[in-house]
Amino acid sequence: MSAPTAPALAAGHHEPSKFHFYIQIAMILAVITGIEVVLVYLPIVKWLVVTTLILLSTVKFMFVIFFFMHLRWDKVFCTILFFIGLVLASFTMFSLMKLFASDAAKPLTAAALDFARTTLG
Amino acid sequence: MSSPAANGHLDHHHDHTTSTGIPNKKLLWWAFLASDCMFFGALISSHLVYRLNPPPGNAVPTQVFNIELTSFSTFILLMSSLLMALAVNAIQKGNVKSTRTMLLGTIFFGCIFLGGQVFEFTHFVADKHMTLSNSIFGSTFYTLTGTHGTHVAIGVLLLGMMYVRTFKPTHGGSLGRNFLHLLAFAAAAGVAFLFFVPGLLEVIEGESLSAMLSHDAKPLLLGAIACAALVWFARTSNPAVEFGEKNAIDVEAIGLYWHFVDIVWIIIFTAVYLLEYL
Repeated sequence: MSAPTAPALAAGHHEPSKFHFYIQIAMILAVITGIEVVLVYLPIVKWLVVTTLILLSTVKFMFVIFFFMHLRWDKVFCTILFFIGLVLASFTMFSLMKLFASDAAKPLTAAALDFARTTLG
Repeated sequence: MSSPAANGHLDHHHDHTTSTGIPNKKLLWWAFLASDCMFFGALISSHLVYRLNPPPGNAVPTQVFNIELTSFSTFILLMSSLLMALAVNAIQKGNVKSTRTMLLGTIFFGCIFLGGQVFEFTHFVADKHMTLSNSIFGSTFYTLTGTHGTHVAIGVLLLGMMYVRTFKPTHGGSLGRNFLHLLAFAAAAGVAFLFFVPGLLEVIEGESLSAMLSHDAKPLLLGAIACAALVWFARTSNPAVEFGEKNAIDVEAIGLYWHFVDIVWIIIFTAVYLLEYL
């Protein structure tokens, strides 16, 4: 990288460089993505693959928000603010999945749909 | 008591002039991203609900998806996040030249991602006959990934505006010049993700390069002119610019948005694409 400009040097205070640290984080994220893609083709029991995929995605998610998005170095209020939205979104997803997993929520077959239309007029 | 800013010390994470100690711009972006989490949460759950209970006549995702291309797009978006983090790191050290390079790199990778999505959608409609309205799977898939793609496109535009802003001279009006600079950027980015990247992917898939060049000759020519204009604007700009370390919070704010589209894609890639292959 080129040298900082003169006015910036005059400011007298700089963040410590995180250049190599960011490269390392990006490499870890790339490797995890590679593992995820390979994982779905391996002959392993389904629940184990699903659990591992969710775990790996969560790890990638946390790496990005805490390091690339600087939450690790920011005031804790930013983390709380973002996690309010994240927790609400997670609960919404969980609730919808539970709600629509019930038998009553399953779509009717073509025959059952015809029968319902005939019966109900 | 003098403020740290008055002493020439810029604390990029904490702002002692606000009651929360957090710069207002950053607080605004975090609040927006928290609300966007709920927006994408609703879209992802809609897609998953219909995948758990697929209605008759739904498309078969594994016959439609191209997992190699999607994995490549995911890698590209992750690397764009790296470049964005490096752009923030550079401007925090007052290094404007390096910030520009990193911003251009992020924009370039963003355009590759968008081009991949344009190519993917075109093939899904033309070859796999999956449209927005002929199956529930198509409706939820296009709505979710299209909304994400729109977020990426907005991110590319914001990054472009930030890139043009780095050339604003310390003295003298430059509104007209900046407008033309932004116009050249928008034309180059638009041609890149609508024609150039999808065209290159077609070539990789087996189409001849000459066919691609003749098919999209006009837009590609426009893109080449816009790229030449970008180079001209960069070379003839005034070296004394207003942009500097004090603008680190602006770059960081755009960076937050860009990283957010990356984390949303991390979830979409697993929930929408990978889980289908089990």
